[in-house]
This record gives sequence, structure tokens and C-alpha cells, in this order.
Amino acid sequence: MTVEPFFIWLEASPLGVFMKDKPATFASVEAVHLLALALLGGAVLATDLRLLGVTMRDVSIATVAEGTYKWFKYALIVLLVTGFMMLAGVATKCYGNPYYWTKMIALAIGIVFAVAIKQPLLRREPEKLSAWTLRLVGVASFSLWFLVAASGRWIGFSG
Amino acid sequence: MVDRMFVDFGRWLAGTSWSTGLHESFYMFNWLESTHVLTLMLSLGMLFIIDLRMVGLAFKNTPASQLASRLDMPMNIGFGIMIVTGILLFTAIPDRYTQSVWFRLKLILLVLAFINALVFRRHMNASVSTWDKDPVPPKRTRIAGATSLALWTLIVICGRFIAYDWYDCGKTENSDFINWAAGCTAEQMSP
Repeated sequence: MTVEPFFIWLEASPLGVFMKDKPATFASVEAVHLLALALLGGAVLATDLRLLGVTMRDVSIATVAEGTYKWFKYALIVLLVTGFMMLAGVATKCYGNPYYWTKMIALAIGIVFAVAIKQPLLRREPEKLSAWTLRLVGVASFSLWFLVAASGRWIGFSG
Repeated sequence: MVDRMFVDFGRWLAGTSWSTGLHESFYMFNWLESTHVLTLMLSLGMLFIIDLRMVGLAFKNTPASQLASRLDMPMNIGFGIMIVTGILLFTAIPDRYTQSVWFRLKLILLVLAFINALVFRRHMNASVSTWDKDPVPPKRTRIAGATSLALWTLIVICGRFIAYDWYDCGKTENSDFINWAAGCTAEQMSP
């Protein structure tokens, strides 16, 4: 059982047709995707740089984590919506593109890591965690999202 | 006359072995462009957090000047990378970029964003002690923050649109305004 029928259906759907109709449509959706990428990057990096002790050392980890989480979620929602829209325009091509699948897997891991591991960990007394745990979480988080962004960019070069 | 200067400069630079090499490379150009786009997460990411504080939407319990001064360094490192990669990207296809309305608009907006930031930072340094701890800063600060967010949104959009050829010189459907804005020369407009 493959998911290929879904991709074929999506590209032929009204959303797919809409996204393919004018180049300006896809380009505009992609520009919004990029803006949300910048916001997600800011939210993730602000926390990860704090965990690594590089910046905002005089602000508590809990404050930084809490302050950025809301924006991380907003950015992620915009990214998922615009990403889905773009997928509809080029679905069958993405299906056959290994970089697309790399991105999707990294994205899934990234979301699970952020929501189920990093945020709960940092919400509950991060001062009690060892410095190395905090650094590891920061590096893991940043690496995952960098992989998502980089493989996303490479989809564009390999279509 | 200025249009001729831009065209001549773009064509001269495009003819150099540096530019040709970069333009024809597969990996070098793409790595450069990828770095430029991905570094947005650092430069613009930090800027968004700072501006969101300035419009009173984020980190309301952290003093504004503290947030700004802590995030300035990573932000500026990011901008340094953006400027270097940006200039290098320009040298790859200069004849295209000098006559791209999107590229020209992007540069103008970058200058405006920079001026906005300078004016705001000067104002902030002078007045911040009065509103530093306010969760929602005063109106002038909020306007500066919102202006910054709006300008950078437009900058990213223009940056993305540079790649498209909708308004390239030589297109018959170009309006007079577009031909003027792009600096199209007479030879380009009448093939």
C-alpha cells in the first residue's frame, strides 16, 4: 500500500489546480512560507542559543522557553498550511523526490521532539538539569530544524 | 544615461571569469543561495523576536532593552552573512539583477529598514528607561517595530520574486512604468 494515490489526487484537486494556475500564486505562498521559516528559526534559535549559554544568560531558561513557544507554534501552523498548499501544486514530483521525504521525516521528528521532549523538559525546573543535558537538547533541536530547512531548500534544486 | 551605466556595469561584471564560473557552477551557486536563505532563520529570526517585543506581543516581562541587546549579536552575525552571501550572489548574474525591478525594490527597502532601525535605536537609547519594563511599549516604539516587520516582510517577498522573469526587460507586455523602474534601455525594448 503506497500513498501515491493521495499525491496524484492532491495534485488534480481544486487546490492543486489553483496552485498551478499562475506562477505568482505559488511564489506568493512560498514567500509566506519563508517568512514563517524566519519566525520559527527565531523562536527555536532564541531558546537553543540560551540552552547553549551563548545568549540571554541573564534571562531564565524557563522564561525564554515559554516566551518563544507560542511563536514557534504560530510559525509552525503557517509553515504546515503553506507547505501543504505548495505540495498540492507539485505533489507527484515531490512523491518521487527523496529530499521531500527526508524533509517530512525530519519535520515529524522535529515536531515530536519540540512538543513532547524539549518543551516539557524546559517547563519543569530546567535549573536542575545538568549543563550538558541542556546543551544536548539545544544542539539536537537546532540540528533537526536546520535539516528540515536545508532538505526543503534542496527540494527546489532537485525537482 | 544612468540606465546605460547599470547595464554596462552588469554586463562587464557578468563577463568576468569569476562571475561566469559562479553562474555555471552547480554546487557553489546553490550552496551560496541556500546559505543566504537559511541564514534568514538567524538574522530575521532574531529581528522578529526583538520587534515582537517592541510591539508588545512577546516577552512582555523581559525589559525591552535587555532583550534587544542580548539578541543583537546573533542577529548582526546573521546580517553579516546575509550581506556577504548577497553580494556574492549578485556577482553571479549581475546583468540580470541590475535590471530586476524586484532586486532594485529589495535594495531600496533594505535601506529604509536600516534607516528605520537606526532612528529607532537612537530613540530607544535615549528614552528606554521610561518604558523598558512596560509589557506594551509606547506608541512611537510600536510604530517603529511594526514598520520594521512590514519592511522585512516586503524584503523577503521581493527577494523571492527576483527569480521570476515576469518583468524582465524585453517583455512586450511590460508597462512603461515597469520599463522605467527596471532601467530597460531602448535596444532591449525594441527587439
